[in-house]
Amino acid sequence: MTAGASGGSIGTAPAVPPSRGPLALPARIRSGWLHRSRQERLALRLLLPIFGLVFVAATIPFILAVVRALTSDTGQFIGADNFGRALSNDQLLEAIKQTGVYGLVVLPTEILLGLGLALLVHRTVRSRALRAVIYVAAMIPIVIPQVAVGVVFRLLYIPDYGLINALLGQTGHDQILWLSSPPLAIFSVASVDIWQWTPFVYLIMFAGLQTVPPESVEAAQLDGASSWTQFRHIELFYLRPLLLLVFFFRLADVLRVFDHVFILTGGGPGTTTEFLSLYLYRIAFRFSDLGQASALAVVVMAFMTVLYTVVSRFLPADTT
Amino acid sequence: MARIATRALTWVILIVALAIFVFPLYYLIVTSLKSKAELFQAIPTLYPHNPTIAPYFSVLFTRQFLGLLFNSVIVGVSATALALAIAFAICYPITRLPVRPGLRSFVLNWALSLRFLPPIAVVIPYFTIVRTLGLYNQIPALVIVYTIFNLPLAIWMLKGFLEQIPAEVEEAALVDGGNRLQAFRYVILPLASTGILAAGIIVFAFDWAEFLFAFILTATPQSMTFPVGVQGLVTQFEIIWNDMAAGGVIAILIPLILMLFARRYVIAGLTFGVIREK
Repeated sequence: MTAGASGGSIGTAPAVPPSRGPLALPARIRSGWLHRSRQERLALRLLLPIFGLVFVAATIPFILAVVRALTSDTGQFIGADNFGRALSNDQLLEAIKQTGVYGLVVLPTEILLGLGLALLVHRTVRSRALRAVIYVAAMIPIVIPQVAVGVVFRLLYIPDYGLINALLGQTGHDQILWLSSPPLAIFSVASVDIWQWTPFVYLIMFAGLQTVPPESVEAAQLDGASSWTQFRHIELFYLRPLLLLVFFFRLADVLRVFDHVFILTGGGPGTTTEFLSLYLYRIAFRFSDLGQASALAVVVMAFMTVLYTVVSRFLPADTT
Repeated sequence: MARIATRALTWVILIVALAIFVFPLYYLIVTSLKSKAELFQAIPTLYPHNPTIAPYFSVLFTRQFLGLLFNSVIVGVSATALALAIAFAICYPITRLPVRPGLRSFVLNWALSLRFLPPIAVVIPYFTIVRTLGLYNQIPALVIVYTIFNLPLAIWMLKGFLEQIPAEVEEAALVDGGNRLQAFRYVILPLASTGILAAGIIVFAFDWAEFLFAFILTATPQSMTFPVGVQGLVTQFEIIWNDMAAGGVIAILIPLILMLFARRYVIAGLTFGVIREK
């Protein structure tokens, strides 16, 4: 258990890692003053060729998507036709709406639940061994391939033989069509997301709670602060950058959600769980409409880049 | 009295939460160990009454998923090695050498921004490229795409590990008459080896779990990866649940084992190294 306990003795680096980056640079330059220009040239010689290659490899798809979106299937330039078709498609609006609903269900639930559980464990569980067990248990859903997660929940949600419906049937209840009745399906796929990612929020929040200086908490407790005041005025202060970070990563995941939904509902019933990625998939690979799909891909990539630029401003990372 | 009640309540909540998170996996494993007869009992059994590993044999040999497993390993190992090598070449200068802060933050920011791109938007143009190059349904296509897509993660993790190595250690080696290459070989590389291993494990687990690229860029068992095969089991052979569950268990097992080894770095991996365990 010692190994496990060490894994569970969670502490975190501060949200802003002690950067040796931009801030540490002047000192290093000064120490190696005579070598500066030589070293910098060496750095650029090492960095630029390989980074350039990777940058091009990752940027080409965007350029090709733009080119493809502006041409017809036979390769003739057709202007913004594909963009017009892509953006005037009512189903796009529908897909965006579904993605929004999914995000509104999933993000607050995961963040509040994860935060709540982290506080609960932080306040009640004192045993290091038990904390280590919870730590490993929380990691399990996160590391599982989404395809396998889809399989897991099929076993639970499917009509007739799915565990939940079989139990309902045995106890004389009507079956519930978790994955194939329109209002319910989106919540069923959302529940899978919540199952898989609440532990992620939990782990980060729990790690964050360990960085709260015990002195300030003790001082508050001596003053007779309630559990809520303690959270609201002390712990939340330390967790805020982490909450932003979690939100950032979960938002990115919600906007790209595909695998488990594809396996559980395939976007159905109808198009009620057809989120943005599934919609793009259908246009590109079911309808083989690569012109429209490329236009959509360009719009999505551009939108995400803008969104990233906005959101990353609030990030505690040393990216600036 | 009220305190005891609250304490009891919190423990109940914790235990229920733990059960909710663990039970689905337990049920997956149970299902994968059931015989066909047991599978279709009116009341699903909550533990296998006659446990059998036949479903695993069926998946791996009868359905020849062993080949897919092999593909997954090849793709994962190659893409991980490539991503680590490239990430190292990028991270070494930006953490150990005086690169201008603007360039450094551009590289890191660019890498992080890739994390925001939905794979489906990227795969649409890649699909065209791969077909034009004649790489459709070929393992190298997957290796290239996986390398690019997991590179940001590798860069951020390695950057985190490399910048933890104090500059003085390297400078000491340089003062002692070593050249930069020697300092790299005998000082940086050994000190960073744990970090490299951790980053490698996490990147491999991501490659292993990847579904969408493999689903779109491959077509036959010759190059399909394991998750694509499992997805096929779900849609085509819905009834053969124990096989499906066995496929799921195998898909889970490898990242799970790896993560147990690298458990201190999982959170770092998932948050791009922004949050690090002590």
